[in-house]
Amino acid sequence: MNAGERLTDANFPAHPEKATLEGKNKFLGFWLFLGGETVLFATLFGTYLGLRNMHLDGPSGEELFSLPLVFLATMLLLTSSLTSVYAVLSLKQNKVRSLQGWFLVTLLLGLGFLGLEIYEFVHYVHEGHTFTSSAFGSAFYSLVGFHGAHVLFGVLWITTLLARNWNRGITLSNAPKYYLFALYWHFVDVVWVFIFTVVYLMGKVG
Amino acid sequence: MANHQQNPETTVHRHEEIQRKLALKEERKHHNVSFVMMILLTIVAFFAIWSDKISDSFAVLFILTLAVVQVFFQLYVWMHLSHKGHDFPIWGMASGILVAAITVASLMGLIWTS
Repeated sequence: MNAGERLTDANFPAHPEKATLEGKNKFLGFWLFLGGETVLFATLFGTYLGLRNMHLDGPSGEELFSLPLVFLATMLLLTSSLTSVYAVLSLKQNKVRSLQGWFLVTLLLGLGFLGLEIYEFVHYVHEGHTFTSSAFGSAFYSLVGFHGAHVLFGVLWITTLLARNWNRGITLSNAPKYYLFALYWHFVDVVWVFIFTVVYLMGKVG
Repeated sequence: MANHQQNPETTVHRHEEIQRKLALKEERKHHNVSFVMMILLTIVAFFAIWSDKISDSFAVLFILTLAVVQVFFQLYVWMHLSHKGHDFPIWGMASGILVAAITVASLMGLIWTS
């Protein structure tokens, strides 16, 4: 069977994302990538933990952070993780419209998160907390900005993935792509859980 | 009566289909439970800090533990690490987390000793 052919309910495999060798390779390779990303973020977390009290004349984290705003951002990202897993459930049932719907909701929630983050950063810059204001500033924007860039990349990824495959149904070629995006999105959420805890909540207790 | 006699192959196929549907229903339930748990853990962590009633050092340990629990929900339920055929991903992530922990520990150690 051609991998680009639209799957029907009759010939739908139990694991469409791993039904081809290419799909299996993508699956393994992507998990290896996520293991590497974990280490990458760990270096940024370690740096931030070491430098978080070195804010020179600028405002400290305790003065800056507004927990309700960050709490709302956390809720948006957690909910988007749930909607992307619903899309994967639709993928397993060959329901392409429902998959597209759930991924669109994920996309909107991701955009909402990005909007809040941009608002937050602009606010901080006005308070005198910039990338070059102190070691705390550099470490903060490296870590949180790097995560934000991951969210932005995810938003662009799902947009192009949905647009390119809008009328193609679910095929053996695009099923692994949808599946990997969901994995990526969950991973970005995992990192955020730690940013919320380590940067914002721990920032409030000094 | 001939109509009622089903081809054994179709029966097997139908049986598999029902099994698969039940499995998916179960999976959806797990996802929903995981979501509610993660929201609750986030709220608990938030109030542990917001209320200011818990001593700082205990609160930090407490919220870090909650974060680790959330990561397991994400990895095992939402990213399907609990499913079959995930041995390689588990080793990949486990070694990633190990190196990550060593990285953070050594960076902190470097700062403390200098």
